[in-house]
Amino acid sequence: MADPAIATSLHLALELRKPLLVEGHAGVGKTEIAKVLARLLGTDLIRLQCYEGLDASTALYEWNYARQLLHIRLQERDGHAGGDAEAKIFSEPFLLKRPLLQAIVHEGQAPVLLVDEIDRSDEEFEAFLLEVLSDFQVTVPEIGTISARERPHVILTSNRSRELSDALRRRCLYLWIDYPSFEKELSIVRRKVPGASEDLTTQIVGLVQRLRRAKLAKVPGVSETLDWASALVVLHASQLSPEVVTETLGCLVKDEADLRKLRVEIEAGRLPAGGP
Amino acid sequence: MSDLVQRAVELCRELRNRGMTVTTAHAMDAVRALRSGSIDSRQRTYLALRCVLVGRPEEEEIFEEVFTAFFAKPPEESGHRGPVRVRRLPRQQAESTPALSSWGSSAEEERDGEGEPEEVPAASDRAALAKKDFSTFGAEELAEIQRLARRIARRLAARPSRRWKSGRRGPRVDLRRTIRRSLSNAAEPLELRFRRRKPRKTRIVAICDVSGSMDLYSRFLLQFLYALQGTVARVESFVFSTELRRVTELLRQPEYAEALQGLSEEVHDWSGGTRIGECLAAFNRDWLHLVDRRTVLVILSDGWDTGDPALLGAEMEVLRRRSRRLIWLNPLLGSPDYEPLTQGMQAALPHVSVFAPAHNLVALRALERHLLA
Repeated sequence: MADPAIATSLHLALELRKPLLVEGHAGVGKTEIAKVLARLLGTDLIRLQCYEGLDASTALYEWNYARQLLHIRLQERDGHAGGDAEAKIFSEPFLLKRPLLQAIVHEGQAPVLLVDEIDRSDEEFEAFLLEVLSDFQVTVPEIGTISARERPHVILTSNRSRELSDALRRRCLYLWIDYPSFEKELSIVRRKVPGASEDLTTQIVGLVQRLRRAKLAKVPGVSETLDWASALVVLHASQLSPEVVTETLGCLVKDEADLRKLRVEIEAGRLPAGGP
Repeated sequence: MSDLVQRAVELCRELRNRGMTVTTAHAMDAVRALRSGSIDSRQRTYLALRCVLVGRPEEEEIFEEVFTAFFAKPPEESGHRGPVRVRRLPRQQAESTPALSSWGSSAEEERDGEGEPEEVPAASDRAALAKKDFSTFGAEELAEIQRLARRIARRLAARPSRRWKSGRRGPRVDLRRTIRRSLSNAAEPLELRFRRRKPRKTRIVAICDVSGSMDLYSRFLLQFLYALQGTVARVESFVFSTELRRVTELLRQPEYAEALQGLSEEVHDWSGGTRIGECLAAFNRDWLHLVDRRTVLVILSDGWDTGDPALLGAEMEVLRRRSRRLIWLNPLLGSPDYEPLTQGMQAALPHVSVFAPAHNLVALRALERHLLA
């Protein structure tokens, strides 16, 4: 997708070597940006999915305890003294590299590091992440300091379920992605669901765009549009009839009250009739 | 200094004057961005500068306005040019917010040593209340409010999560940590480590009414909000009268007096009319992303609404469905003969999970007990 705002932001992220913070509603393709960037640069994508309770050991590194224990037992069985065991089991083969460390020790071309849904992590983790992002250097007490040969390209995404700290915002370039326009969504569906007829595609996008303007609790994103279009193709639908829409509405609208509201609209004949 | 740098600096200054957070680092990035090549058209320039200088979606509108105005007019006269300065907005005149500005100064001297107000002030008792104004709270009561706010916040937040925490005690053995510790004893696990559920972190969103009818309580409730925010990490605070305003950052000050100063500078419609319905609608439009199934929503208002009760009801329903718990603290409930009969209150009540008084410390203690149950 050659959206000029996205293209400019990615260009600047590469040029200024700064992390890019991408915000927008669920399902507008924030994660996709990192994937596209990795493909464009022909490099690896390393993904850190954030969630509540995510901590440094899950994001950075952890010792492989099971393997360490096994090693100790084997040594005991073979009658080795335990003197050098410690140095051995705290060496790199026993280190489990989590996404952040993977991005730092990555060989060759700088990878793309995607920190997905940063708003879901805790504030403490955000602070920790800031530290890592500022110098891409990590100290493992038992081994020493490891720094990145090539700074990874960092993309952060957020659904705004929590306000991010100003410190983080200051460090990042910023990109807000809104729902796509009718024409743009049309071209997305055409490209991603080629099985749908031109007529059907237009109807699908028209209806989704109308629903976004309606007051729904959960507004359908682009991914929902694509799911719905795929479902309709599988069902060999060539037109949006009230029956077809009723059957497949679950792909598009995922909130019980919204569904009820729309069913009423369909029964009253107001859906799916009407242009975009 | 090249013209490009000059213009970028001027633009940053203009944005800063409009209230955006634009640092010198931002200005440097802006120049680097413009020099990076391939920024060849007006649209590209616009997009590049927006990407560098804007930090949140609310700022995009300001940026567009400033950018359009800025590049429509010729460069400023050289006499006006100067280094980057952080120009602060002029301090608000005291008379515009008399209540607030006097709150900042401590009023201990007015205290008569009788401790917390025992009486339940009713809405009709305004004359009597004026003597026992909450504004006469001293440091001691402030500490008490803080303590209560902390306990209430914990009560709201206490729920085990799915994640584990390691420690010396707990219902289950933490194998990983036990083994890690055993290494110092030749791999013999002499000391057991345990794990237990981490408490789930609840978010609190507080929306406080500061309209005219709430004048007597606003100060007290703001102290409560301030204390709440100082206790739990995840608190978002809003105030409204005719307009909704997010005050989380303003309240995040080490000193309460500073927080009040900030509030009186930034919030302009203190003691105005009340439009709860519209303000909640504004919240639902702009800030609903802050509310999820872990969020406890606290509304502090007397429920006097001059707007459409149907709107209030509808917005309350949205909030109830999104949040974990919807708590309405109403200072008027403290009056024994108050009944929530106003149309607005009637429309809102069916969606409220806890409806409780909040007009003095006694009420707050009662609330704490209530939340325990």
